[in-house]
Amino acid sequence: MNRVAITGLGIISPFGRGRDAAREAMRNARSGVRRIESIETSALNCRIGGEVPADAHQGSFKGFDRFSRFALIAAEEAGEQANIAGAVDPSRFGVIIGTGLGGCETLDAGFRRVYKDGQPRVPPTTIPWSMYNAAASAVSTHFGAKGVAYSPVSACASSAHAIGQAFEAIRSGQADAILAGGADAPLTFGIILAWESMRVLSVDNEHPEGAARPFSADRKGLVLAEGAAVLVLEAMDHAHKRGASILGEVVGFGITSDAGHLTDPSADGAARAMKLAIGSEEIDYINAHGTGTRANDATETAAVKSVFGDRAYRIPISSTKSMHGHAMGASGAIEIVSSLVALNDGIIPPTINLNTPDPACDLDYVPNHAREGRIRTFLSNSFGFGGMNGVVAVRTIHGL
Amino acid sequence: MQREEIRQKLIEIVRKEKDLPDDKLALDTPLADAGIDSLDSLTILFAIEETFHISIPDDKARSIKTLGDMVNVVEELVPQQ
Repeated sequence: MNRVAITGLGIISPFGRGRDAAREAMRNARSGVRRIESIETSALNCRIGGEVPADAHQGSFKGFDRFSRFALIAAEEAGEQANIAGAVDPSRFGVIIGTGLGGCETLDAGFRRVYKDGQPRVPPTTIPWSMYNAAASAVSTHFGAKGVAYSPVSACASSAHAIGQAFEAIRSGQADAILAGGADAPLTFGIILAWESMRVLSVDNEHPEGAARPFSADRKGLVLAEGAAVLVLEAMDHAHKRGASILGEVVGFGITSDAGHLTDPSADGAARAMKLAIGSEEIDYINAHGTGTRANDATETAAVKSVFGDRAYRIPISSTKSMHGHAMGASGAIEIVSSLVALNDGIIPPTINLNTPDPACDLDYVPNHAREGRIRTFLSNSFGFGGMNGVVAVRTIHGL
Repeated sequence: MQREEIRQKLIEIVRKEKDLPDDKLALDTPLADAGIDSLDSLTILFAIEETFHISIPDDKARSIKTLGDMVNVVEELVPQQ
């Protein structure tokens, strides 16, 4: 079995474009949640979100849906860091980009023409831009990556599954390198309205940066967000041979289904995924799924306790969604990249807005301020609607 | 609408989709040679239909290989005054 190195990291998020913006936010406990400016929100209750700032992406990669453009921007940064162009046999170079909702902007604009503006037709780009694999296809074409390529779709676990499946593909020898991650851009009128109907959105329009409050007793729900993150995963021997810098290593992956309820999470499904990912590793930090909904936070806390027993209280665990919001299928990748850039710098990301302790959530959530520490191996939890769970175990540079 | 007027408008529409130099937009240059792929063509046809308030049947759309073909089709479908 091949070991799987991480040789490149790319991200575009509510913090802005690039790794440095994410690292700075983790270090300074800075929220990227803001008033939504990319669409008209006056008819919505929820007017806030983890929106990617316009200047972070405008003018880049014309001719795609917003989610594909985010994927291309993140993949470009990761590919440049890994210096991957021309370094891999194209037939052994892959792309696995997960998404929860695909090309929402394209669908929303197309159907708005018909239903609202009374036009009889939608643009011919509607299908090829909105399809769920459009981002993976765009990245594959951009890099000339001709090996394994597809898009896992499993709601909020999509990019955890993408990274996990890429890990398995490289481990088993199916590919030498894979651009793996996720992209989503769900801040459209119709999608926000749909989430409003589920009554799980935190709607604090006057204080957007304080709206996402995972694990805090006064939490009101999740904050929708958008963005993309991509990792270059590479067979360790392949990376060593070409002298690539190793930024970390994927060391485990757990994937399970609750086979329970469509929207209510189960501690058992989450715990089984964590155990599968952990294997024989010693875990010393957890990046939680931590959505800030009542259902998730207590269930996830119970799952962590069931896996780690008393040790659960001594493992720092944080929800970076408190800062970037919930970018749906892109979340897992955004969280792994944000955590890894901070952890490699000796910074443990905080959970911000943790104002009021909740008896059902009594672990060490690294409240409100980043902490210094040398984390060697961490878990990244992603639990999607539909009861689909993905957990990735990652070694930082301190553990290599 | 005059043929020349149609040609000018079509060039405008094509240029919105693809930034092409004049020599790529001669009436007899195959669109494929100008770098206009199948998806670009669909987008251009869509814009033509919107601009001229016409509906181009599929068989006519498939017959368009050059800018000249486009002009012919539009000229045929635009209501004559």
